[in-house]
Amino acid sequence: MVLAPEEAAEAIRAGRKLGSVRISGRLDLTKFDGERLPARLHCYELDASGSQLTGLPPDVRIDGRLVLDNCPALTSLPEGLTAGSISLRNCPLLEGLPENLCTWFLDLTACQRFSNWPETGTIRNGSLILRNCIGLCSLPTWIGRLAQLDIAGCVRLREIPDGISVSSWVDIGGARISSLPPSLQGAALRWRGVRVNERIAFHPEQLTAKEALEERNAEVRRVMIERMGPLRFVKEAKAKILDEDRDRGGIRQLLGINLQEDEPLVGLSCHCPSSGRQYFLRVPPTMKTCHQAAAWMAGFDDPSLYRPEIET
Amino acid sequence: MKRELVYMDAKSSKFWNIELTGNSHTVTYGRIGTDGQSVTKSFPDEEKARKDMEKLVKEKLGKGYVDAAGSGVSPAGSATSAEGLIPLIAFSSINRRDDIGQNAGTFIGKRVADYDPDKPARADVVYRFRSDWENNEVIPHLEHFLATDAAAEASALIIGAWHGDEPELTPEGVIEVLVKSKARLGKLAAIYIGDITSEENEMSWIKQCDLAPVLKAFPRLQLLRSRGGDGLELTSPEHENLRGLALETGGMDVGVIRSVCTSTFPNLEYLELWLGTEQYGANHTIADLQPILSGQLFPKLKYLGLRNCERADDLAAVVVNSPLLNRIDTLDLSLGVLTDDGARALLKVPPSPTLKKLNLHYNFISADLVRQLKTLSLTVDASKPSNMDDDDEWRFVAVGE
Repeated sequence: MVLAPEEAAEAIRAGRKLGSVRISGRLDLTKFDGERLPARLHCYELDASGSQLTGLPPDVRIDGRLVLDNCPALTSLPEGLTAGSISLRNCPLLEGLPENLCTWFLDLTACQRFSNWPETGTIRNGSLILRNCIGLCSLPTWIGRLAQLDIAGCVRLREIPDGISVSSWVDIGGARISSLPPSLQGAALRWRGVRVNERIAFHPEQLTAKEALEERNAEVRRVMIERMGPLRFVKEAKAKILDEDRDRGGIRQLLGINLQEDEPLVGLSCHCPSSGRQYFLRVPPTMKTCHQAAAWMAGFDDPSLYRPEIET
Repeated sequence: MKRELVYMDAKSSKFWNIELTGNSHTVTYGRIGTDGQSVTKSFPDEEKARKDMEKLVKEKLGKGYVDAAGSGVSPAGSATSAEGLIPLIAFSSINRRDDIGQNAGTFIGKRVADYDPDKPARADVVYRFRSDWENNEVIPHLEHFLATDAAAEASALIIGAWHGDEPELTPEGVIEVLVKSKARLGKLAAIYIGDITSEENEMSWIKQCDLAPVLKAFPRLQLLRSRGGDGLELTSPEHENLRGLALETGGMDVGVIRSVCTSTFPNLEYLELWLGTEQYGANHTIADLQPILSGQLFPKLKYLGLRNCERADDLAAVVVNSPLLNRIDTLDLSLGVLTDDGARALLKVPPSPTLKKLNLHYNFISADLVRQLKTLSLTVDASKPSNMDDDDEWRFVAVGE
């Protein structure tokens, strides 16, 4: 039996039984407040974003697209789950994917607990988006040829296994990757969406402030400064001292440097009173004094209200 | 040595033949159905004549000509074969970016004329029915034509601007007339609903409607072409004989893509989708095209056109991984925002037993990458590149504004 998606959605939301049906088109169960879906569901597209679903029935069939974004209770998915594309963005409890998962497109953006890959599965041809999966420590070896791979913000990820390849780009912004495997040699590199070269990505120690200042593309320049470390950059670039005073860590300076086609880089250079380490903390370019900058960092718009009793 | 080529688009259907004899070659060219004209050129030796012939053939192939043999175009010049099948090459309409500004001059290889009820209707012409601001003629003229004997012989029809002085009008009324008179159009094999230039109505302003009733009413239809994305629908599409589907839009609704992906077109050979931009209603992602790219939908597909796409780079990166490339002979990513990123992905196109042509006309690819693309063992049309350098911020699809 073929059922229109509106009818099916209404029945499911009302808790009615469906039996074995095929649903043509997109089944819209966004914000569905049930924890479970009926068995023997077969649809072209299922969108249950923002729902309270904890998982999907083991016999669910989806021909095209599965969207389960922003599902706060989603913890597991059925073995052998197959769909043309699967989007699971921002599912805070999702820790792993099922065995024999099969898809072309997978988006796990901001699944903070996600870390467990199945032993085997098929992800190939499309894009694999793992942006800001801060719990992720590894990638599996069974991933096929992709269009794009995005591991930006995967702060615990240290390497990409050999065998993974892309036809377009790999985004490694903020991941702890120090080189690409042989299978990815020659792939275009991105740093949180900005096109970068291998030197910026893997050899930031070779970058100079002069180079960064001469870079005409403001986005690339920002990444270069991030990669160099802003402290080294302002030192090498001989930033202007806008203000200077003393705090418990010693001399404190408000440093500024003008950048072409970008707002000036202004930050507070200070030393930690406990460790003695030097820091450079960026502040809005409207800041005029060290005290005003420190107050802004502490959340005070009016610096006269910021009178810390102790700074450690 | 002889080579016979043909070309068809919205403006013309032409042939171009070349024959090498000794140290000279003779080129014969003209409109299909005519004898054309011949030019003979002599060279100092046979080798030079052969080289010149090869150069000319390559040039023609690059412009979109195909070998007449196997194209379905009969040498006599008739655009349909004995079985009444329209040749695949005749399914294309807008080949160059500049074609968008003009009404179709030919359709399925036949000459197009605006219908004039005061003249006798002919069977060898495809009639276009349209209204303008002053005259709402599309339906009265169509009804007039349907009462003539020529209707029974008509293999194709074109519906031009239907809105007259009501910009919000959809072609629903026109479709009703066609469906009601389906018995009068026993040979209808191709229909174009929306041959409308930007001067008549911008592509993104055209109000379309559900075109599925046309498919249902005409079981012998081989080609459905339409223009305009606003309101466009194809509810539960199903057709045993449809060979070509072309949907031109400035922004394609995800619902239309879903309909195509859930359609039953077992004989579809030609699929042309204009994906468009977000500003004009495109609300799909590349992932929504996965069922098409998976290769499981249309077992007979030979031409895949994903055109006028704002995210042609991302699209190209996925398309090169598609198993469809082992089955189709033409991949068309023209009229979109294809830059060096997409071109680099296309350089990785795997060797395919069938793929012959890559259409990248109107693109944003640098000269260096165009040179690299030309080294592929495919006919690559990378004409009309934009000269924008890295600092230029704006890149547009061919039809968006």
